[in-house]
Amino acid sequence: MNEIPQGYYLLLAGVLFTIGTIGVLTRRNAIIIFMSIELMLNSVNLTLVAFSSFFGDSSGQIFVFFVMAIAAAEAAVGLAIVLALFRLKKTIYVDEANILKY
Amino acid sequence: MDLFEIIFYFFAAIVLVSALVVVLSKNIMYSAFSLLFTFFGVAGLFVLLNADFVGITQIMVYVGGILVLIIFGVMITTKVTGVDIKEGISGKLQYAGAGIITLLTAIFLSLMFINGKWITGSSTDVHATIHQIGTLLMTKYILAFEAAAILLLIAFIGAALIGRRKA
Amino acid sequence: MIDIGANFVSELYKSLGMFIPETVLVVTFVVAIIMDLIFRKYKNIAAFTVLAGFFVTGYTLFACNSSGYAFSQTIAINPFSQFFKFIILLTSIIIVIISFLSKELYAENRKVGEYYSMIAGMTFGMFLICSSTNLILIYLALETMSLSSYVLAGYTKEVKRSSEASLKYVIFGAISSGIMIYGISIIFGLTGSFDLLAINAKIATGNLSIAPLLVSGIMILAGIGYKISAAPFHFWTPDVYEGAPITITAYLSVASKAAGFAVLIRFVLLAFATPISQTQPVWQVFAGIDWKLVLAILSVLTMTLGNLSAIWQTNIKRLLAYSSIAHAGYMLMGLVIMTSAGVLAILVYFFMYMLMNLGAFYIVMLIANKTGSEEMDDYIGIGYRAPILAGCMVVFLLSLTGIPPTAGFIGKLYLFMAVIDARWIWLAVIGVLNSVVSLFYYVKVMRNMFIRGTDKTEEPLQFSRVSIVIALILAGANIYFGLWFEPIVRWVNECVKSLF
Repeated sequence: MNEIPQGYYLLLAGVLFTIGTIGVLTRRNAIIIFMSIELMLNSVNLTLVAFSSFFGDSSGQIFVFFVMAIAAAEAAVGLAIVLALFRLKKTIYVDEANILKY
Repeated sequence: MDLFEIIFYFFAAIVLVSALVVVLSKNIMYSAFSLLFTFFGVAGLFVLLNADFVGITQIMVYVGGILVLIIFGVMITTKVTGVDIKEGISGKLQYAGAGIITLLTAIFLSLMFINGKWITGSSTDVHATIHQIGTLLMTKYILAFEAAAILLLIAFIGAALIGRRKA
Repeated sequence: MIDIGANFVSELYKSLGMFIPETVLVVTFVVAIIMDLIFRKYKNIAAFTVLAGFFVTGYTLFACNSSGYAFSQTIAINPFSQFFKFIILLTSIIIVIISFLSKELYAENRKVGEYYSMIAGMTFGMFLICSSTNLILIYLALETMSLSSYVLAGYTKEVKRSSEASLKYVIFGAISSGIMIYGISIIFGLTGSFDLLAINAKIATGNLSIAPLLVSGIMILAGIGYKISAAPFHFWTPDVYEGAPITITAYLSVASKAAGFAVLIRFVLLAFATPISQTQPVWQVFAGIDWKLVLAILSVLTMTLGNLSAIWQTNIKRLLAYSSIAHAGYMLMGLVIMTSAGVLAILVYFFMYMLMNLGAFYIVMLIANKTGSEEMDDYIGIGYRAPILAGCMVVFLLSLTGIPPTAGFIGKLYLFMAVIDARWIWLAVIGVLNSVVSLFYYVKVMRNMFIRGTDKTEEPLQFSRVSIVIALILAGANIYFGLWFEPIVRWVNECVKSLF
């Protein structure tokens, strides 16, 4: 087994999650928001694999597979919706989608 | 510094730098391509954690599937790759808010991860992850496995339905 | 490691036997798609397939009386989950039926086959949520439900606000589910398991660090709270409810909320609490997180925000959206007190809420069919142009307020009685105050319909006989269950017992 402490991986994942959150909070482009969400999901995967590997239990890795499958499905549906809206409005900036007010 | 540590820091640096580029870059194409490096970096870390199969899947699904999808999305929808970060007071406020939230989250998470009492077990036979994963998928998680199939079917039909031009 | 052998196979067969309703739903989903492809000429073939499938599901659900864990303890089939499945199935059937009458759905000769098969798929997801006791499965099922609801919310895709609603829904949904699985991963790190029962056993030892547990609990709560639109995760609700087709708005406000509550109750009570004893119907929360306080704050925030925002709305769909947020807040009160009376009250309330909310949205849909508008100002004089429907609407609105002798009154009665019994007086007081506030904006709708604009002499609106009969049935049910609620309470009582 390697000598890198578990905490390092967890910390790295935490920082990655935070970076993803920054993207979600500050960007307006729907596609970049989707990319930031992928970063968040990757950080979750890293956390899960880190726990799973140090615990010696594979169910964490099983969850990673499902997260990946769902990430792909979500990206497909999300981008399809972006595309549909783009056809109507020629914009993909989230806050320009403003017929509906906050 | 032994080999493991060097590799770890190498991949960690790749992940963090490219993730920052994804989030902060003003050119959406740069974002999409540095996402590629993030995915590769995370895959490397998976391998380092003895999760070889997950690492390979990461490359196949994320790089081969999701990233291609995202790049297609970028190409279809964006003509201008201009600045899209908010300007003016509301933009600055949003930045300040995001900064504070981020800082708090980061401090909290690091404290939590350093002080937390995490489960650790006997790190078992590391050569058998595929076998273990396969067995678990076909026994305990067989229902989840099947449900994922339905989910993907729903997603495919839905994406085709929304994405196509007017029928 | 589970051994794979004859034992496992026989176990699997047994599990499949308990899983028939869900299997029927999956078959319905697939058959509806295929039928729609083969018989392209018949527009509603998928709808009839789905409807038939739902009735078969209902029958199998009714016939299935075994209870216990299935599929290596990843799902639990018991009367509690059966109750929510019945609610969801009933809602789905009503939604399919009223979708036939929806004008916006059939506008421009749109193909509607996928619409109905998506509803079947979403129902499957919600069925799975109601019974899963494993976090992996909960996440998968929640996503199955969400993905189909994103698509359904944007189904009328050439309408801008529908596409926008769908985009907002998918972005916020993806973020909230990302946060939720981060919470799940932390909880896995703490306890080493995804099974709620194993997590419960681990937390019961008390040998855990509290801070990560709290964080992960709140993160998971954020994911579920998004689905039941509890504040502060409610901000998507008004936009999506306004933008989506009305039938889907009604569906989201009842069925997906039911699934959210089912999983919330299960998650909190199964993972973080334990029944004090077999005879005493009270749950004890493990030391560490004060779940009661967290949920109480959530509940107060949700109902107050929902009610206060509803006052200012000029669009009736937005008004009903905020009112549904407020109702989620009321129902959360039942979970705060963590007694069996509280859970019973939630279930009773949900049954009543289904009747009144579906009814209100149905009337809004019928009127929008004719006038093409959902603005409050266009409701002026409706009482004279469509007296029967306006009368039904009054019943639904009174029921939503909680005035006897309607179903809503019974729901509120049980809820407040349970809260007061558990000595959460301040919570009950806030709840009652909120109900008073809610009266204000419900009355505003009634005033628009009947009192304002009596001088207007517009043409009366013509409605088909079928649509009026459905409205009368729903209104009748609201009054019927307001007077004869005994059978419901008895049934719910059985369901709550199965949680122990």
